[in-house]
Amino acid sequence: MMAVSVLVLTLVLFSIFTYSFVDVNVPYLENLYTGYYSAHRILLTSLYVILISVLFGCFYFSTKNVDKLKNNLKKIVIFVILLAIIAYPAALTFDIFNYMTTAKVLFLHQENPYIIYPIEFIDDSYLEFTRATNKTALYGPFWIMLSGIPHLAGLGNFILTLFSFKVFIALFYIGTIYMIGKIDKNAVIFFALNPLVIVETLVSGHNDIVMIFFAIVSFYLFFKKRYGLSALAFIGSILIKFATLFLIPVFIAMAKDNIIGKKIDKEKAFVYSAGFMFLIFLLSPLREELYPWYAVWFVVFTSFLYKNKFLQNLVLVFSFGLMLRYVPYMATGTYFGFTPIVRNLLMIAPLVLFLIFSWLKIVFPRLLKLLR
Amino acid sequence: MKFSRFSLVLILFLILPQISFAQSNYVLPYPSFMPGNKFYKISLIWDEIKKYWYFGDFGQFKYNLSQSDKHLVEARTLFDYKQYLLALSALEKSDMYFGRVFKVLVSAKSNNKNVFEKEILLKEASQKHFEELKKIRGNVPEVFEWRPEKESPTILNLWEIMDDSIEIRQKIL
Repeated sequence: MMAVSVLVLTLVLFSIFTYSFVDVNVPYLENLYTGYYSAHRILLTSLYVILISVLFGCFYFSTKNVDKLKNNLKKIVIFVILLAIIAYPAALTFDIFNYMTTAKVLFLHQENPYIIYPIEFIDDSYLEFTRATNKTALYGPFWIMLSGIPHLAGLGNFILTLFSFKVFIALFYIGTIYMIGKIDKNAVIFFALNPLVIVETLVSGHNDIVMIFFAIVSFYLFFKKRYGLSALAFIGSILIKFATLFLIPVFIAMAKDNIIGKKIDKEKAFVYSAGFMFLIFLLSPLREELYPWYAVWFVVFTSFLYKNKFLQNLVLVFSFGLMLRYVPYMATGTYFGFTPIVRNLLMIAPLVLFLIFSWLKIVFPRLLKLLR
Repeated sequence: MKFSRFSLVLILFLILPQISFAQSNYVLPYPSFMPGNKFYKISLIWDEIKKYWYFGDFGQFKYNLSQSDKHLVEARTLFDYKQYLLALSALEKSDMYFGRVFKVLVSAKSNNKNVFEKEILLKEASQKHFEELKKIRGNVPEVFEWRPEKESPTILNLWEIMDDSIEIRQKIL
């Protein structure tokens, strides 16, 4: 439990840390703006690396004693949510502002966000800090409809809306954990306490968790032979962010097994789901770039593959590498120059080291025992 | 004297081609499916469906302006081919959509939307439409008797109709 305590404590520090990134252009948070980020980039980047490393380290060691963790999981998850939800969501990415602005286009201005750019509302104060305002809605229609809930809950107040979005996303995180538990209790921890999932979902508030929630619901309903509802949930998932389109072959294969009277092999379904979602993850640079939060797409299915410890460790190490992708921009403040190369190197380096270490473990087991 | 006259003519010759009246930078679209094409009716149905997709004041602004542009280009092409009856029908549609653009802007204003950029765009569009209509007017007869097969002829007051269309645009300018 020591590792979990450190994980929770680190999360407290991480939440405080995020406030050093408050944007000068967000007038609603001017009291929280310190300018610390622009003045101490290297210090903050170092802090980020330390905090992320500790989070991943704690997670790795806490999963060594799963039984104890399972007994206290509910309490830990509640703590994690409460701590992460208070964090400033735009420390690493600005997507949450984009969700808010898109919701505003539809629900306040009553315009179609698929044809009207946010930038067309020239008096809108959100334009000062929202990125990609020269693009029409980037997400599926179901997400845009759902985003009306936190938008309305915000009652027109920026801070209330911002945190309504965070709470809304957190509800889907809870829902996903619940559904994973319904399918397989042993799969919950790997997803629920994965630092990448916590940071990208609960801190940054990415909507990928909403897409994943509906996908997991769809799997659950399929296993329960409620095919109509399963299909509906699956369509809902696709209409959030489209990436789960890549799960169609898995559902077709399961439906085929069902028709011929063969028992559905859940593990096999999740292996393929993880594989397909990893494939779309790898293809994402064709559209934009490899964003760390896209890892949620395959991490969720990997959580069901707990029998394969090597795979889970590999995914965990890769998740850590993905979180390091933020480092070059954080340190330099530019997306150009060496940033793209360093970003990729930092992402791959932990993976390569892990593979070398695993290979050495096989080839020279005695040597490693001696080193330990 | 001869030299000065020559110089004056020469100067005018050199300068005059460079004098040009202000022209709109607004770009009209390529012609879409024309009447007679098997996809023409489908395109009209599609346009009707699109009307609901382009909801909201700004959405309707875009929709009506694009439809007005589209039908103006259609009319221009039909005038080129001397298909005056069809051309006038297209022009009528263009006028109708153009009138709606202005109404939509008024509605946007009443909904507290900043329409400054839209007003500029509409003025540019009006200028372009005005230029096109003037050009077309210069190339068509004042009156034309349209004689369809097995039907009684129709008198088309082309200039009069075009003047009405021009007036609709001039109100914006």
